[in-house]
Amino acid sequence: MELRLEKFTKAFGPVTVIQDMDLTVGSGEMMALLGPSGCGKSTTLFAICGIHKMTGGRLYFGDRDVTSVPAQQRSVGVVFQNYALYPHMTAEQNIGFPLKVMRQPKAEIAKEVQRLADLVQIGDLLDRRPAQLSGGQQQRVALARAMIRKPDVLLLDEPLANLDAKLRLEMRAEIRRIQRETGITAILVTHDQVEAMSMCDRIALMRDGKIVQLDTPERMYADPASQFVAGFLGNPPISFLPARAGEQLAIGQSQVLPRPAGLEVQGDIVLGIRPEHFGPQHGQGLHGEVIFVEPQGREELVDVQLDGGGILRAILPTGDPVKLGDRVNWGVSGGNILAFSTEGVRL
Amino acid sequence: MKTRLLAFGFLSPALIAVFFFFLLPVLLTVVFAFTNMSTSTGIMGGAYQINETQMGSLRDTEVSPESIEKLEGAGYLISEAGLAALAEEFGEDTAEELRDDYLGETFAARRDLERVLRNLDDPIRNTRDRKAAADLFVSTVIGERFDTAEDFRAALVETGIDPADHDLLTEFAYTGWTWTTANFSLLAELPSTMRYASNTAFYVVCTLTFNILFGLFLAISTFYLPGRLANTFRAIWFLPRILPPVLYVLMWNWFTWDRGFIATVAGWFGAPQQNWMLHTSTHAWTAVILINGFVGASLGMILFSSAIKAIPTSMLYASEVDGANRWQQVRYIILPQMRWPILFMTSYQTLSLLTSFEYILLATDGGPGRSTEVWALAAYHTALNNYGGNLQYGLGAAYALALVFIGIALSILYLRFFNFKELLSKPRIEQ
Ligand SMILES: Nc1ncnc2c1ncn2[C@@H]1O[C@H](COP(=O)(O)OP(=O)(O)OP(=O)(O)O)[C@@H](O)[C@H]1O
Ligand SMILES: [Mg+2]
Repeated sequence: MELRLEKFTKAFGPVTVIQDMDLTVGSGEMMALLGPSGCGKSTTLFAICGIHKMTGGRLYFGDRDVTSVPAQQRSVGVVFQNYALYPHMTAEQNIGFPLKVMRQPKAEIAKEVQRLADLVQIGDLLDRRPAQLSGGQQQRVALARAMIRKPDVLLLDEPLANLDAKLRLEMRAEIRRIQRETGITAILVTHDQVEAMSMCDRIALMRDGKIVQLDTPERMYADPASQFVAGFLGNPPISFLPARAGEQLAIGQSQVLPRPAGLEVQGDIVLGIRPEHFGPQHGQGLHGEVIFVEPQGREELVDVQLDGGGILRAILPTGDPVKLGDRVNWGVSGGNILAFSTEGVRL
Repeated sequence: MKTRLLAFGFLSPALIAVFFFFLLPVLLTVVFAFTNMSTSTGIMGGAYQINETQMGSLRDTEVSPESIEKLEGAGYLISEAGLAALAEEFGEDTAEELRDDYLGETFAARRDLERVLRNLDDPIRNTRDRKAAADLFVSTVIGERFDTAEDFRAALVETGIDPADHDLLTEFAYTGWTWTTANFSLLAELPSTMRYASNTAFYVVCTLTFNILFGLFLAISTFYLPGRLANTFRAIWFLPRILPPVLYVLMWNWFTWDRGFIATVAGWFGAPQQNWMLHTSTHAWTAVILINGFVGASLGMILFSSAIKAIPTSMLYASEVDGANRWQQVRYIILPQMRWPILFMTSYQTLSLLTSFEYILLATDGGPGRSTEVWALAAYHTALNNYGGNLQYGLGAAYALALVFIGIALSILYLRFFNFKELLSKPRIEQ
């Protein structure tokens, strides 16, 4: 089911947290709400599920206006950041709770619980209480509970934040699989760009209560709308380099790069160069000294202090004979240089 | 060793306090319960004395009728002590003669003894002297106070009482306290015991139910109120707790007097003027339960409120998006997580209701009749405040001791019932 927010505004007393936000999530789509801490992701989520009243704007599930429908009647499933399982109920009772309060017959509930337990693969843990489950198992229970009512939308608030690295990887794939299998419309709230990029069809990147860009992960990575977006996506992060646009791009005191095609402006700008677009594989042209090497197993991260000012980061396959203090002369992939105005707007 | 000693040193003030303020009273209660201490026995030792007024009850004992008759009839007895006194006042000869002929004899009436004195070889002539002389031989048991058992037994021997009855009589004559289990058999026999027990059960069950339910109701309803309003309500409902009991009950008295608030308002609707607290036992019970109930409920409200606040908000949010309405939220999410505070309140209130009686004492003092007399109040009335004037410490202690055992039994029952172990068990997985 399609979900549509129109001119959504939320204020806590005198503080307006979100102003006139528009957002449409297509039917069966998984959308990420990505942004730094405090930007209003949870607030948006709570407004969609009905826990917080909206200060202004409208919310539609399909054609149905649910702006003033209480949470109980909204047909949303929510997985909370700490899972919010009921500690006094078994996994089975937790999962069946939404049906129980709908006064469904016991047999029906048992059947549905079994179906969901199979879906999230915890069929043999049903008689345990939350305290007797591991973090990942609790998460599966929470997911099953959120989905048992066959809700119109599934909301996930930082569902992976409490898991260790390995489990996080596993659950990332798992949640995506379940979402695909059920074809449910889902919103994933996260501040982890890797999570957003790997799990979602589209990403809404938020900053200070506004959506600054809404796009597929690939396009958002390759074609960021602003310096903020470019800086937020990518791991290791992009390097920014002040430059002066004239005949060529003057970098620092002494070095120059060729002007990328299509760049019109003159004067002071900021270049964004991702680590994979700088290095010996891109030829030569920029001189500098290696000031930092961080081995990461398969590859290593190298920071280069450019002659005449500026630092660029490169990512090289492990085994490249680069040492701290080496002098290097590396090139940049010209077609992938991003240019921003000094205010951070993409040029 | 040194550290252990040091620890003991640090603990000692607490241990001393525990001993003096807890163990000692309990021990004393146990000791008192097995005695017949009362105002008339005192709490120190006693003397040996049988009074004229006790002759009736003496007949109910095993003492043989002959001995009793002797005690009563022993108006005048020719004893060595009497003879010595006689010798002093009327001369050795008279005394000697009397000893020879009459030593150990008794005379029921003074007239008989006087006749003997007149008919001696060396008679006492003056009538007044004869009277005085006869008085020297007045019986030495009835009405006489003996400091030790030996003195009393000696007097019995002199009176010529059958030695088989001496033990019984000595026991009967003892005015101090003695060890006895009679208090408990008395408790078992008295019809009022059942009455007080059922009063107590009724009182505790009703007040407890009111306490817990009303406390829960207040806690839950103020939980759903907006903050400022909730705090105001809580403050109002907390008043009974912080008012001094005397003042609080005084307000109730004023409220229920036959010219008090209720009577006045009811009067407008034509109800007869009456004391709404003491008119019937139903009125009295209602007042007693409400008075105690409000005090307990305000404590429950505070405890339950903080317990509800300790439930993570995300859990309440989750239940809302899961479709639970307010009632279902209370029923399935809030109440189940309040098991521990409810258990605590129930057991704590049971014990404190069993043993505290100050509000009842101030409000109805067990009345009307004895209809609101509960066990603890009966113990108080018996041991410390009794219109008859004879405070029966021993019996009162027996009442109290029974209460101690009931309290212990109930505590154990509660812990079993609420499965205390499971409550304390740790979660097995890290969070
Ligand atoms: N109940 C509230 N009263 C007042 N301000 C609030 C309230 N809830 C949130 N805020 C404010 O709204 C802003 C957005 O909060 P929100 O919880 O949506 O952030 P978030 O994007 O989820 O951050 P995080 O990633 O840290 O969870 C924050 O500045 C926060 O201080
Ligand atoms: Mg948040």
